[in-house]
Amino acid sequence: MKAYLALVKVDLKLAFRDKAVIFFNYLFPLVFFFVFAGLMKAERGGTISFVVSMVLVMGILGNGLFGAGIRAVQEREMNILRRFKVTPISPAPLLVASMISGWVIYMPVVILMLGLAYFVYGMPIPARLFSLFGLISLGLLAFRAIGLILASVVNTMQGSQVLIQLFYMPMLFLSGATFPITILPPWAQIISQFLPASYLVTGFQGIFFRNESLSTNWSAVLALLTTMILGTFISAQLFRWEKEEKIQPAAKLWVLVVLCPFILLGGYQAHSREHLRKAQILARDLERSGTLLIRGARIFVGSGKVIESGAVLIKGGKIEEVFEGTDPDTKALKATVIEASGKTLLPGLIDVHVHLGVPGGFNEPGENHSPQEAMSRALAAYLYCGVTTVKSVGDPLDESLKLRTSINSGERLGASLFVCGPMFTAEGGHGTEFFEGMPEVMKIMALQQTVRLPKSVNEARQQVRELKAAGVDGIKAILESGQAPVLFNRLDVSLLQEIADECRIQSIPFVAHTGNLQDIADALKVGLNGVEHGSFRERIPDELLSIMAKNGVAYDPTLGVVEAFSKLSSGGEELLSRSLVEQVAPAKLIQTTKTFLLSEKSIKFLERLKPFGMGLEQGKENLVRAYRAGVMLVAGSDAGNLLVMHGPAIHHELQLWVWAGIPPGIALQAATYNAARLLRADNRIGLIGKGHDADLLLVDGNPLQDISITERISEVIYKGERINRPKLFEQE
Amino acid sequence: MSVRPPSRFVTQFGETKGIGRRKVQPEIQTPNPEVSQAPIQVKSLTKSYGNFQAVKGIEFEIQAGEVFGLLGPNGAGKTTTVEILEGLRPRDGGLVSVLGFDPGTQSKQLKDRIGVCLQSTNFSAKLKVVEAVEMFGSFYSRTVNGEGLLKRLQLWEKRDQFYGQLSGGQKQRLALALALLNDPQVLFLDEPSAGLDPRARYEIHELIQNLRREQRTILLTTHYIEEAEKLCDRVAIIDEGKIITMGSPREIQSHTLGHSIIEIHCDQPLPHKEIPAWNEAAKTTVSADRKVVTVHSSHAARTLVEMVKWVDQQNIGLADVHLKKPSLEDVFIELTGKSLRE
Repeated sequence: MKAYLALVKVDLKLAFRDKAVIFFNYLFPLVFFFVFAGLMKAERGGTISFVVSMVLVMGILGNGLFGAGIRAVQEREMNILRRFKVTPISPAPLLVASMISGWVIYMPVVILMLGLAYFVYGMPIPARLFSLFGLISLGLLAFRAIGLILASVVNTMQGSQVLIQLFYMPMLFLSGATFPITILPPWAQIISQFLPASYLVTGFQGIFFRNESLSTNWSAVLALLTTMILGTFISAQLFRWEKEEKIQPAAKLWVLVVLCPFILLGGYQAHSREHLRKAQILARDLERSGTLLIRGARIFVGSGKVIESGAVLIKGGKIEEVFEGTDPDTKALKATVIEASGKTLLPGLIDVHVHLGVPGGFNEPGENHSPQEAMSRALAAYLYCGVTTVKSVGDPLDESLKLRTSINSGERLGASLFVCGPMFTAEGGHGTEFFEGMPEVMKIMALQQTVRLPKSVNEARQQVRELKAAGVDGIKAILESGQAPVLFNRLDVSLLQEIADECRIQSIPFVAHTGNLQDIADALKVGLNGVEHGSFRERIPDELLSIMAKNGVAYDPTLGVVEAFSKLSSGGEELLSRSLVEQVAPAKLIQTTKTFLLSEKSIKFLERLKPFGMGLEQGKENLVRAYRAGVMLVAGSDAGNLLVMHGPAIHHELQLWVWAGIPPGIALQAATYNAARLLRADNRIGLIGKGHDADLLLVDGNPLQDISITERISEVIYKGERINRPKLFEQE
Repeated sequence: MSVRPPSRFVTQFGETKGIGRRKVQPEIQTPNPEVSQAPIQVKSLTKSYGNFQAVKGIEFEIQAGEVFGLLGPNGAGKTTTVEILEGLRPRDGGLVSVLGFDPGTQSKQLKDRIGVCLQSTNFSAKLKVVEAVEMFGSFYSRTVNGEGLLKRLQLWEKRDQFYGQLSGGQKQRLALALALLNDPQVLFLDEPSAGLDPRARYEIHELIQNLRREQRTILLTTHYIEEAEKLCDRVAIIDEGKIITMGSPREIQSHTLGHSIIEIHCDQPLPHKEIPAWNEAAKTTVSADRKVVTVHSSHAARTLVEMVKWVDQQNIGLADVHLKKPSLEDVFIELTGKSLRE
């Protein structure tokens, strides 16, 4: 014990007398701290946590590999260790003292760095301080152990320099310590999974951004701990006191033994990609952590109110403040400024009626159409168009939930997704006809994923409960008898009642697709939150509209789909050649669709859709009457249907409304605040208000005068991140 | 892993190699300085590095309070022998006991009790003298007072100096101080005055003589014949892994006492005729200019008279006459055919 203390004391004294130690441990990280902080504009938000993580890892790498490694070789080379050999001391106290002194030397850097980040850049002190220091200590000791083992397996100073650099350089550049892993090419991302430093980077970022604890990072903690123990133990075994004692070149394999926890972990992670996902998410957190100020804009708040000139401050993904009239002091806010004079800021649009699994057109026959890809591409397209939230009212359940998770975590970038999953309908009812031609096995699976066909009261209740347990955000049922010659079995009203009641118990919003007045009347009778489509065939009478208004039932007219069906026979040229459509829909899909619609083959296909395509004028009339009756209007596009493209469709829907006679402000409110209310998320989205998610759409011009201005998109901000829109489609 | 492999030939006292396949439980030997046995005992010591036999059956004993010198050219097996005794190197065969410990199996206990001064000790340039003493003091189970030790070695004034700022002599005194920290009864001094200026060397010699007065047992390896002559009670000359001769410097010299060297310088060249075989004379040589005659004689006085007589008969004047006793170095060269300082 006496020897351990004495050695630590001497190690520390020597270290503090060594200019190189002072430089590399203290000055070097400080320089990097300020350089990175300056480059990354750390004063403008959460970037500072990122900078601190980077500099911490760089410091640990240097202190561990060079501090422990080079020094051990130096002492051997200079014949200093020889003298220890003739005393009763064993290698253990020397190695342990080196570990402890390295730790003591490094701790002031950590405290200094956190202090600077706190006082200069306003970084919040992480909630998990114990985990932070735990991970720093563990990382440092593991890297000192790696340094020691590297020193143990080389014979000369040059040898150690080469070997240590061989470890230092990749860890510096491929671990995320200097550049985020997410911008590296795929092969480098795989390599990074084998580097211990990568896990420190994500570990620190997790602690800073997500309040993670050591136990969240248990696999990395375990690997670091094992490396530390193995490294210390094996370097004690390989310890050499004199430069004359040479070691076999094959001894370098011991390094692999010490790193074997990370070889295993890397192998697992390269396969599972969990860690890469985490890195992706953390990189997203960083993008969302900035401070933005949009000023000089006309602000459409969402609830109807308009601020003619104002500013919005965004911090940490939320709306921090809304300023009316006078501009705030931008210098003091330390924000990135977006000048928005002449522009209008809206809450991110919400489309309450989409089917992500279908692409709105035809793919090349024989081309492999993957619903997963189509769904995530659709969400990217929505975000591109400033639609920050969509509600899927009929899509494969498992895929939808999976996609929602990866969007919510930040792994994927796309519009937020509210999931209904399967649609409740009758056997042989609307919604089942799409699977008719399928082979039996596939058909069963597809039905299981996309529809529920309850046959009894109990089954109906049970199915709602199960879906709620699976995590759906709402339920949609279909009441549709069709129109000759296309007829459907209709869901029994008694079953509809059970579904509606169970939704109330489970407190999830319930909407129903309706085709005619009877459907609407039945739906209103059982009680629900939203009527989808209303009717294109019949004029909705005042009684029903007043019930809707009185009961707060939302009305989603989906004019776009009926317009699209009416234009199928003309080849859809008019709808497919709109700028925003061409920006988001794959050119091939558009071309194939146009070609098909003009071909002979389409005639039979179009025959089936004909009954739906007759009622645009009726739909418009019903909408205007509903508006006048004070019904809460919500905007849905039914995108995914033929010629109704994911993203642009909701903009076009609003145009149809305004052309029908709805005031632009009312239309915009239907696609923002009202939609959020239907989703029961109006405390988070649909409004430009303090504390709301910073999901925003900035357009060039004033959509309150010309609704088509919503398509002239200047910026899309999603959860505080300025979206690089074209890049949305580059996601794997 | 280069963990020291246990020597396959480790043997204990009381067990000879011949009997030795049978595994004998090593007897734990507690050292007892009161026991009159020699503190250092070496019997039939052997050690090979691969095919090279570095030590080929060395045997010696060093008595308590004795200063014993090991002389030999580089590669003679000196360092290997000493390192085996210090417990740094396993031996292949033979019996070794230092203070009653077997260095092969009890090196930790042994190292706690011996003092070692290596030929080249080095420390970080920024280590202070007093810190070195404190640090090394922490390694031993018992230590002497550091202040007293530094004062004795005239390092007290230098205690706050960095190692890098010390002179060669001061560094060597520090090395000696560290060797004395645990108040060892047995000291190994490897070339303690190598590379020092004469004054510093004199100081080191004084110190070693003091240690000898304190009855410490000292094994000294050296290249300096004068050092061995001046400091050692006994000397062993090692060459090619074997002890060639051993004894007090005087005894060793006396082995070749019969070979006193007579050198006669003439004032003009000797005639070109045969030099007579004088009584007791051996190795008669004449210099190239035929002015100097050198003769080794076992009976110098008689030979000298005859030589002078013969030169006089040649009608040649004597310029000078030298009569030299052989030094330890001459002995060494004669025995090994090598110089010590190559």
